[in-house]
Amino acid sequence: MSRTTVDRIVLAGFVVLAVLLYISTASYPGIAQKTSAKYVRFLSVCLGGLGAVQLGLSLWKERRGVPLALTEHVGRFIGLIAGLIAFAVAFNTLGFFIPAAVFIPVISVMLGQRSPIVIAGTTLGLLVAVYLIFVVVLGIRLPGPHF
Amino acid sequence: MEYLSEVFTLPAILTIILGTFAGVVVGGMPGLTATMAVGLLVPFTYTMDPTLGLMLLGGIYCGAMYGGSIPAILLNTPGTPAAVATAIEGYPMARRGEGSVALKTSVIASFMGGTFSVAVLLMFAPLLARQALEFGPAETFLLALMGLAGIVSIVDENTSLLKALLSGFLGMIIAVVGTDNMSGGLRYTFGLTDLIDGINFMPALIGLFSMLQMLELAGQREHAPIDTSAINGSQKRAKLPKGLGKYMALGSGTGTVIGILPGEGATIAAFISYNFAKQISKTKHMFGKGNPEGVAAAEAGNNGCVGGSLVPTLTLGIPGNSVAAALMGAFIIHGMIPGPELFTVHADRTYPFILSMFVANFTFLIIGLAFAPYLARIALIPPSVMVPIVSAFAVLGCYALNQSVFDIYLMIAFATFGLLLKKLGYSLEGLILGLILGPIAENGFSQGMIIGKGSPTIFFHSEIAKVMWVIIIALLVPPLLSIARKWRANLRAAQ
Repeated sequence: MSRTTVDRIVLAGFVVLAVLLYISTASYPGIAQKTSAKYVRFLSVCLGGLGAVQLGLSLWKERRGVPLALTEHVGRFIGLIAGLIAFAVAFNTLGFFIPAAVFIPVISVMLGQRSPIVIAGTTLGLLVAVYLIFVVVLGIRLPGPHF
Repeated sequence: MEYLSEVFTLPAILTIILGTFAGVVVGGMPGLTATMAVGLLVPFTYTMDPTLGLMLLGGIYCGAMYGGSIPAILLNTPGTPAAVATAIEGYPMARRGEGSVALKTSVIASFMGGTFSVAVLLMFAPLLARQALEFGPAETFLLALMGLAGIVSIVDENTSLLKALLSGFLGMIIAVVGTDNMSGGLRYTFGLTDLIDGINFMPALIGLFSMLQMLELAGQREHAPIDTSAINGSQKRAKLPKGLGKYMALGSGTGTVIGILPGEGATIAAFISYNFAKQISKTKHMFGKGNPEGVAAAEAGNNGCVGGSLVPTLTLGIPGNSVAAALMGAFIIHGMIPGPELFTVHADRTYPFILSMFVANFTFLIIGLAFAPYLARIALIPPSVMVPIVSAFAVLGCYALNQSVFDIYLMIAFATFGLLLKKLGYSLEGLILGLILGPIAENGFSQGMIIGKGSPTIFFHSEIAKVMWVIIIALLVPPLLSIARKWRANLRAAQ
């Protein structure tokens, strides 16, 4: 999809968001009608208005679209996001150290690192550094495994 | 004097040295910024002694601002955006064998700029904070507007005026999520208990300024090889050229003043100082070919921004730039709300923090003079090592603040959505500024409307309010005029 098209979709999304936001202020209770509701209406008018103007300008200019490249290497990009989500999911039960001991080498290999010494050194170095600095020196309680 | 003695204790000195060294290392790594480092470490200071925690972050801020110049000079790879102007002059110097002169100029100029700006912070912040006592809700609202006016100055060749403003309003709308302070009702939480207290700005900050950079690095197809030839020969001792003092003084003053203006960052400070130096230089023809005057002005300028940016942050709660915003988060999580109380109730923490920044400047001066050529190799650390480490820290930092996995998801969402907005030309600085200033603006607006019995004239009533409107207009007019001039020039070119 071209950059211009994505931009227009995002701008249209802002306008829709602004309209929904404006409408939603009608349900604000009591005193909020005179205070917060007015503030939110002001914000939604600004967002919607500016979004509509920018969208109009974009349509008026009719630029030829260049493809939007969010990333040059989709696999690595998605892989890092997936790794982060997996890390977050594992956090509740396994704490920091165990998921980190898996996450760091996996991401390192995914990004092209092939030296086992560098991978092991990075992983161990970070875990030991975090333990020494945060747990031993600073006395911060890091989450541990809950089985 | 008692505050000074708090700085010269062993734990404090070690913390400042650790923070400054970490800052220099982070600043020296292209892709990592001071905002990222400070934002990443704020949650970890939560369980630390507040004074030591703030000293650590202050050291990182000072160190990172200088650290960016080392790879800029030796590898033509600015460690931070603020060091781009330094690279223009520093790298040609290094290429012709004057790397040691450029490094020495850079560290001394950084020291001068940093020290001058912290002195200004120490002298003027308490005075400005006392004025803040006169502020009512209407003035607080105008203060937030003043901060948002800074968004206009963020506009550059990548971000249009409308998109910068849209980013700011989007940030303010995100800040609306959570409990309404006026009615106690829940707004836009969609039944999620994690959103009752609203969207914490720390996961947003870490997502937008740390994780986003890691996603960009991870998604690069190949990494351009870096020319390391200039490192060799930069390790010998060299004398500083004469006549650089006035350029350092010029950069220090310019950087400090620009730092005080909301929204203006170290990059702008460095470029404006660099341009001023170019205008008054007797060797204009040498600019762009390796002129130490340019290095001196640019480095004094970006480090001058450090103390300057903290003046509105500590006194009015209006962050001068994104690093100051992250530092403001550290003050808030330690229960120190920016404003006059920082210099009265919390004076025992605020003054040692400010004084510690003098020590941080002195620390990076020593580090720079002794180890700068060796530190340049930090820039050669491959993304396959840097990305997993920073990502693990980002996850830990987001979780540590509220012991909430939801904050990690928020961070990932902000990083991904932020990357899309960045690619489309929106301003991430504007977004974070809106997110921080949104609640301040809403509280001021709502309370002002109640006091004014629904009439908006309350926002124009007091003398302070009138002065603030003048300042807001003064902040808006020059950038708007400059944008109008650019539009006119573009139209003429199109015809």
